[in-house]
Amino acid sequence: MKRAFFVIFLIMMVTSWLAAETKFKMELWNRWTYARADGETIQNEMALKRGYFRLEPKFGQNISGRFNLDFFSDDGPDDGAGIKLKYAYLDFVNLIPIRGSKLTAGLMKTYFGTIYDWDYTTIDKDPSDKYKFVSSTDYGVGIFGYVPNGLGSYAVNLYNGEGYKKTGSDINKDMNINANLRLTPIPGVTVGGSYMMQTKNDDEIDGEKNPDRQENTLIAGMSKLAYGHASLLTQYLMKTVSLPNVDDAEDVTTSVISLMPAYKLNNIFDVVARYDIYDPDTDTDDDGESTFIGGVNYHIMRDAKNAPKLLVQANYQITSYEDAKDDESELMVQLRWIFSETFK
Amino acid sequence: MYKKTVIIIALLALVAIPVFAKRGNKVTIAGSTTVLPIAQSCAEEFMNCHPDVNISVRGGGSSVGIASIIAGTVDIGDASRHIKDKELVQAREMGINPVENVVANDGIVVIVNPANSIKALSLDQVKDIYTGKFLNWKEIGGPNMPIVVISRDVSSGTFEVFKEKVMQGTAGIDGALMLASNNAVVSTVASTPGAIGYAGLGYVTSSIKVLSIEGVMPSKKTIQSGEYPISRTLHMYTNGKAKGNVKLFLDFVLSPAGQKIVEAQGFVRAN
Repeated sequence: MKRAFFVIFLIMMVTSWLAAETKFKMELWNRWTYARADGETIQNEMALKRGYFRLEPKFGQNISGRFNLDFFSDDGPDDGAGIKLKYAYLDFVNLIPIRGSKLTAGLMKTYFGTIYDWDYTTIDKDPSDKYKFVSSTDYGVGIFGYVPNGLGSYAVNLYNGEGYKKTGSDINKDMNINANLRLTPIPGVTVGGSYMMQTKNDDEIDGEKNPDRQENTLIAGMSKLAYGHASLLTQYLMKTVSLPNVDDAEDVTTSVISLMPAYKLNNIFDVVARYDIYDPDTDTDDDGESTFIGGVNYHIMRDAKNAPKLLVQANYQITSYEDAKDDESELMVQLRWIFSETFK
Repeated sequence: MYKKTVIIIALLALVAIPVFAKRGNKVTIAGSTTVLPIAQSCAEEFMNCHPDVNISVRGGGSSVGIASIIAGTVDIGDASRHIKDKELVQAREMGINPVENVVANDGIVVIVNPANSIKALSLDQVKDIYTGKFLNWKEIGGPNMPIVVISRDVSSGTFEVFKEKVMQGTAGIDGALMLASNNAVVSTVASTPGAIGYAGLGYVTSSIKVLSIEGVMPSKKTIQSGEYPISRTLHMYTNGKAKGNVKLFLDFVLSPAGQKIVEAQGFVRAN
């Protein structure tokens, strides 16, 4: 842990020296989780589920970056916390001659579905993260831009394909290709779609066809309706896994439907709900699950731009399984606290 | 199943609670520190004529003004720049339709210390100074004195306009002193012989020298006509077309009485 703090300190010093302006941000999620299944308590714990340490340096007017370390208190039994590098990318604006676009390179966001702008309205993760469709960040290079007149945004990216957690442990010689488009034709009505071509495992090992070779196609569709204080986010995810080196192997298709209504009672309280239907194999009966989440967000404090500064989230979650397995229920109460400072 | 039903009913009950406090006769304004004196003076005058309406005004910067409109926490968001693509997309996704109301014109004046003999620069020369191409005033016909580059911080609307109109997307000098307000730029240039800076027209004092740009001196006439090259519009953003007291207030700001206040604050009329 001492070494980690030394590295952070060193990065802070070097970044501050190089950059014209650097924003430091820290976000911490303290969570109590109480879960029951089959009449038994299966979890009753308090943990720092996530802690983000973020640096956002601006190297002049056209180059900026983001460096993010994630901390997990329940992921590092040896010294109290695990650390993962989550973001390490640079944005270059005005490098490509498309108005309002930027080129990004490094460990960057995955522009698939809603994972790239998921703001944890519910405590639970974005569906494509939760059901392991894609990793939230990956090493890559891409273009992100806005459609003129506020009509939407687009992204085209090339990724390593390993994500940020398994970097170096997977041997992957094929890149992932990703495209994302989101359009808001009228205020309050947004529709979008994403596509990703993903490969896993080498095609050949020692000149022989590798049976573990996967060629995956991922598709996401989303819509968001917002009117006044109410909003409804809908998402459909589909992933088809093919094994090209296995004779007569059938494709496996996984799907998720997610609905998330939210209602802002005032600037302090939000009421949120979510319903996910997950089917790991659409050709197999009784293997799916559905999750219902209901909750309240209590904004104790916001910053000048109205972003959360001190937020308490309470979620009650029930997961029902199509097979004989008993329902699981989970109560989570989370305190999120965020502080930041900009140094020039 | 029973648990789910209870939760759904509880959520619906919460939604049904009439918790929206009526804003009534209150108008809230936040945002740009450049627009702040206009908003404050106009609000005071407006409330004298409409004692039943209460207007609260605060600063925070253009980014805060636009973020507040997107969050729905204010009726008017002041900004000394246009809304950015990112902000517009974010607003529309949240069902907000930001409408730009131009309330004044302003020029960004390029200023030096009165001890500096330089009187005029071209846009390219200003750009070259800010990109670090020129490091001494003698390189552009001035005294043998190092150039001290002073800029506004990157979150300011004035900086955004300067970046667009002068820098044209090129990177600025890394060693520039980034200051948080127009007043800070003016006072620093006034006390630093080799300094160059920029600020809104309304902040010009006798302690600094204003340069002509492309042969045009900034004045109310040259800014309004568009002849002066580094001019901008100042805005009050609303969600959709203004209604009720917000419309009454904006109508007042754009009325002859309101525009007189705009001029008294050192800015140029919008119309």
